[in-house]
Amino acid sequence: MTSLGTLRIGNLHEVLEARRKVRSAVLSLTQQELLATRLATMVSMVGRDLLGHNTSPSLEIRVDDERIGSRLAFRFQGKYSPEIPGLVERFCSSVEQDNGAEGDPTLTAIIRLPMESLPRQDQLSAVRAVLSSKSKDELTAEIQAKAEELEVKNLELQESLDNLRRTTSVKERMEGELNIGREIQLSMLPLDFPAFPHRTDFDVFATLEPAREVGGDFYDFFLVDDDQFLFCVGDVSGKGVPAALFMAVTKTLIKSRATNDLSPASIMTHVNDELAFKNDSSMFVTLWLAVLNLQTGYFKYCNAGHNPPYLKRADGTLVRLDKRHGPVVGAVEGMAYGEDEEELGCGDKAFLYTDGVTEAMDPEGELYEEDRLVTVLESTDFVTVEDMVKASANDVWRFQAEADQADDVTVLAVHYFGDPTGDADQRRLDLVLKNQVQEIGRAVEAFEEFSQRNQLPVPAMRAMNLALDDLLNNVVSYAYEDETEHEIHVHIELGEKRISATIRDDGHPFNPFGSVNPDTSESLEEREVGGLGIHLVEKIMDEVDYHRRINENVVTVVKYIES
Amino acid sequence: MEIHDRSAGEVTIVQLEGNLDTNTAPDAHAHFDALADGGQVRIVVDFEKLNYISSAGLRILLATAKKLKGVGGQLRMFGLNDTVQEVFEISGFSTIFSVFSTEAEALEGF
Repeated sequence: MTSLGTLRIGNLHEVLEARRKVRSAVLSLTQQELLATRLATMVSMVGRDLLGHNTSPSLEIRVDDERIGSRLAFRFQGKYSPEIPGLVERFCSSVEQDNGAEGDPTLTAIIRLPMESLPRQDQLSAVRAVLSSKSKDELTAEIQAKAEELEVKNLELQESLDNLRRTTSVKERMEGELNIGREIQLSMLPLDFPAFPHRTDFDVFATLEPAREVGGDFYDFFLVDDDQFLFCVGDVSGKGVPAALFMAVTKTLIKSRATNDLSPASIMTHVNDELAFKNDSSMFVTLWLAVLNLQTGYFKYCNAGHNPPYLKRADGTLVRLDKRHGPVVGAVEGMAYGEDEEELGCGDKAFLYTDGVTEAMDPEGELYEEDRLVTVLESTDFVTVEDMVKASANDVWRFQAEADQADDVTVLAVHYFGDPTGDADQRRLDLVLKNQVQEIGRAVEAFEEFSQRNQLPVPAMRAMNLALDDLLNNVVSYAYEDETEHEIHVHIELGEKRISATIRDDGHPFNPFGSVNPDTSESLEEREVGGLGIHLVEKIMDEVDYHRRINENVVTVVKYIES
Repeated sequence: MEIHDRSAGEVTIVQLEGNLDTNTAPDAHAHFDALADGGQVRIVVDFEKLNYISSAGLRILLATAKKLKGVGGQLRMFGLNDTVQEVFEISGFSTIFSVFSTEAEALEGF
């Protein structure tokens, strides 16, 4: 096991601080609110007890990386009350005690983390930073974890810079700093394509070619949920490390806001306020951001000082999205941004780019300009967005020839296929259930009928049957504290290679996938109620996801269909 | 869900047809209880016509197995489809229970 850090817990203030740090550390390692709160509570409980025994206690946090999940150990040193080990057991997978022949006794609580993969190095660095950090003010936990991650990167950069200062000339040093900035910039971009191999309703492709010196372009895209796809392109003023860090914060703010806010205008307004607040460096970012509803093809977009994108219709028509909704982001606090709506029909593409394209220069100093871009976009019907992106970028390289690249060149395109067969309604099932046990049977029957109608392969049907039964049972049995009637919404969608179910309830906030996996070597009675069913669902399904919307729990499970 | 009993000597074979889940588990539980209370304590469950089982189904199988064990009986099962087999493996039930692939094997030496 490797140590992630040691915390002093010699007074109440330090115990509370340790509680906060542990919560934040576990959250950044697992993204699981419930687990983070449980472990923070455990630390607070043991810490308070240790205070009463007149020693100078400490807490060391360690992690290891076995192949099957990862273990986290909390090693408390100091005298503790006899009932403490028993209480600690309730919070963790196992407890080890050592009575310490010389020093103080130790008590180690070991927790199995519910993770499929090993913790990444950057996550561990973030945790180390959290554990060794000074106390911070507010910001949401996620932003804070990200900021601290950046702090670590900053420190590492500072070290690299110190080295550079000692060993290199001024010119080389500047290049070194620019290289570091570029590395951060590129490390933040989604670069794997196809990005969503299981989706048949849309495709996305992007490229970013960094300039040797100046440049702060970025792009991002992700599924907010099964039906909502966010994509954006931006250009940060400035260059090098500061621009790269500003970009990282922008990207994080967009992502965390979009989790429960699907309005581009509202996301932009929020991101602007956060970035503009105490923006001493006066940096800013041009940003074009859209949220596409994959069921309908409608998308809302907000343009904050960015180059207007194009739509390439399936019939070949090119449409320029001229609307602007406010100034660049991060410059002025308190701006309210607007938004507009457009539609992508089946086969339509959206094409986004940065000014590095239109301001590329040839060896004679002539600009590429938008006309040339339009000519390329109109020249042919691109079969794929990859063709479209590569053709437009290649045209810029041809034009630029031997000239230096002045600015980053970024191109992103989204292809919407929608529902070409027109049988989407047949392949979707929406149910509204009351929070009663009998209603689960109704859902299972409706799903079986749906499966037969669509000739869903039997193994996928059985797996989804099981998941529906256990997830709905969980909601009906545990989500509500009152006796009143509630509605549970079930949405099932059958794709080419996957079937997904989304269950929404307005019960108290609860992440079913947030608890520690039950020890299946224990007998059933010893396991937590409800734990086994969820464990089955997690194992049988290929993807599981939970997020909390404003007043709803949203659970989505996906099973891949093997033909 | 449909439940059919048949006898093989002193052993009762219970065939479960359909789904063993939140909705059907209480009926199945009552059925097993009635058998045990009536002195039929050697039970083989025929899963060949079972579609799927959820955790609610697992719970009543466990309760039945315990009850039978307490009175000197036993619960065996056979004919699990792939999904049910997977559920048994994930939950650890394949090690707790006596699971056979055919009826003949389940009855042998019972």
